[in-house]
Formats: sequence, structure tokens, C-alpha cells
Amino acid sequence: MLEQGRLEVGLSQGELWFRYFELGGMSTALQVEAFLYGALIPTSHDGDLIAAALNERFSELGGDHPIPYSDDQ
Amino acid sequence: MADRGEADELGLRIRILPNQIVVGAIGEVDMVTAPDLGCLLVALVDRGHTDVVLDLAKLTFLDSYGLQAIKVTAARLRTSGGVLRIRSPSARTRWLLDLCEVSGLVDFEPFELVALGSEHQAGDTTVTLVTAAAAGQTAAVGWAAALPARHDVVDAALELVTALAQATVGGADGASVSLARHGRMGTVAATDDTVAQMDRDQYATGQGPCLAAAGEGHRFHVESMAGEERWPDFVPRARAGGIGSILSTPLMATAGRSVGALNIYSRTERAFGPPEQELAALFATQASRILASAGVAGEQATRLQAALHVRELIAQAQGVVMARQGVSAAAASAALLRSSRQAHISLRRQATEITASTQRQVPLTGSEP
Repeated sequence: MLEQGRLEVGLSQGELWFRYFELGGMSTALQVEAFLYGALIPTSHDGDLIAAALNERFSELGGDHPIPYSDDQ
Repeated sequence: MADRGEADELGLRIRILPNQIVVGAIGEVDMVTAPDLGCLLVALVDRGHTDVVLDLAKLTFLDSYGLQAIKVTAARLRTSGGVLRIRSPSARTRWLLDLCEVSGLVDFEPFELVALGSEHQAGDTTVTLVTAAAAGQTAAVGWAAALPARHDVVDAALELVTALAQATVGGADGASVSLARHGRMGTVAATDDTVAQMDRDQYATGQGPCLAAAGEGHRFHVESMAGEERWPDFVPRARAGGIGSILSTPLMATAGRSVGALNIYSRTERAFGPPEQELAALFATQASRILASAGVAGEQATRLQAALHVRELIAQAQGVVMARQGVSAAAASAALLRSSRQAHISLRRQATEITASTQRQVPLTGSEP
């Protein structure tokens, strides 16, 4: 889901990590990549920050916020 | 996995070459030890190393966790223009890498190729680290801090360039690289003290072929120090130092801007003919490339500073929310995210508004703890 969103907004993995980091994320770039591939499971906070980074990019491109957050059930 | 004795041990031998880092994995890479390998590899990539070799000659076991660590590092290196080289994989490891589609992301080296002059040259440092299951990730983070940043490796690479220039350019008795750093010229690599002193004499007098080449962006050649009439303050010092001729070739950063010079010194008069000048130009190009890659890292540092500013802003807003609502940092962070979504503004703008609101109490929407 996260990886699909990343591809849709055309952010490189490095760029996404940077935006995530800007929002306060503490995981390394490699860990974030592992979250994208599903090799590691992010905490709900990390997952939300990645979702926010992607959703803000969707907004910049004039779109909605398609990536769900941990409390969207 | 059930046996948690020595079987879980993984040794990581790190060899630092001027423009390459070799990580030797000794033992087992499994669920327990893969994070250590992953942590080390990502630390190298994060520190700007683009040429990373993973030597698997002494690997005894590799499972899907290890494969994943290798795959993610390889993908990351590729996107940053680098490469992960897998050295000496066993047939079985090679088969696993093919199966997991890692092969397309890495280069394979069947065995160690001893590069010309790369063994035991400047910057060749070896560190061996052993991790046991109990040590875990904390240990890996500790090692990461001990790794040299790319900047040091750049200087080590320039040392190698000067050493090679001295050895290959006919008539050369010494070589140095001068660079403008922090607004002033300095020598970052020199083959010996005489050469370093000659560079210093040029900076002190504000004269000489090195400064001219760096300043004007083309080659300056002192064919014969005895007959040299330019630079009246520097030339007597060079003669006193026993220098007969100097060849200074500019180093170009990106966008054709010269940032320094490669200087080759000889005790002999008229030591450098056209072939030597051509060779010097080749080495200068090599050094320029090394510098260009370091420059890219510098730009990233500037961006990083801007990002740190935004983080600080968000952390401040988080502090405001924590104080107002008496909640934990995590809850405050979640509340911030929620309120920025509800207000349809970016987290950064939401944070700015909240910190500004400490003067004029703006309610934070959707923020029940």
C-alpha cells in the first residue's frame, strides 16, 4: 500500500525518507525502505508519518489523501 | 534457530579503501544477525559511500532476513548511483540471490581483484567486529558511529591520486592537491613535507602556479625555476627548497568552476614535457571527479539543515500540545497529525500555527487524548 502510493506520487525512496524525517521520523532510510517492502512492520507512529509524507505529496499534486492512517478503521 | 550458541555469531570485517568499502561477512546471517549486517550496510550508504563490496567468501548461512537486508541495500545504492558488489558467493548463495531477484541489483565479483596499487595504500584500514546474538542492534549502531564519513575517504582518495601522480608522471619528485575550503586555500594531500612546504609558501606569499591554476582555471607550468620571472616573492623560496620545475593543473568542480589544483614538483629543470602534462591532466580529472561526488554530499547537508528546522518546529508544536493537554509525546504527535488532516493543511503549517497560537489560544481540533 505504502510502496504503491510512493510510486503513484513519483517520489524516490530517498525523497520519501527525507520527507518522513522532516516530519519527525526517527527510522533510518533502510528501515523505511524495509517498511515499504513489508520486510519490517512500522510502529503506528512511523506508519502514520510515512502516510502523512505521502498524503502531503498527494495534496501538492492536487489530490486527496488516499493513504490510510492507523486510526482509520 | 533454536540453538542460540555460537551458531548465531556473525563477524563483520570492514576494510576501508580510498574509494571503496569492503564488508566481509564471516559466519551466519540469519534472523538474529541480519539487523547488524543491515544496520552496518545502511550506515555506509547513509554516510555517502557508493561503492560497497560485500565479501561472502566466509559466509556459512544466509536466510531470507539476510537476503532482504542485502536486497534493500542494493536497491538503495542503485538509486543513489552507487553499486553493491557481491564478492565470492558460493554456488548456493548465488542461486539464492538469483531466486530472490537480488542478482539484477548487484554486481558479482567471483573473487577479489587486486587493483593496481590499491593494496596497503593510504586509507587502507581494516576493522573486525564480531557480533553475538546478545549484542544486538545497539552494537551495530555503535560501530556505525565509528565509521569514517565520506569526507575523510575523499581526502584518502586524493592522497592516492597524488601518490599515483608522483609514481607515474616522469620526473615528478612529489605531488599535492590544494583546495579552496571554507574560503581559503589549503593542502589536503601531499606526498612529502617539502611539497607541503612549497604549497604553504605559495599561500603565504599569495603567489605561485598552484594559486594561479586554481584561480584562473587553466594549467600553469614553471619550466625552469632558474629563469622564472613571474611570482617574485614565491620563486626565491622555491629555489631555496631545491625545486626545479612545477606543473599545476586546475581541479574543476561541477559547472566548470575551478576549486583547486593538482601540483607536481620536480627537483629537475624542464622535467615536464607534453606527455607528462597530459598525464597530469588525467590525474587532475580523476581528482575532480572525486571532489564532484563530495560536493553532492555538501548539497545534501544543506537540505538536511532545512529539514532539521522543520523537525524542530514540529517538535515545538508537539511540546505545546503535551503541555496543554497533559499527554505523552506519541499522543501529542498523533493529535497533531489528526488536526492537520482535519484542517486540510500540512503538518508543517499546523505546527507553525500552534506555536504561534501560544500567544492567542487557538483550539486544537480533534485532539481528545
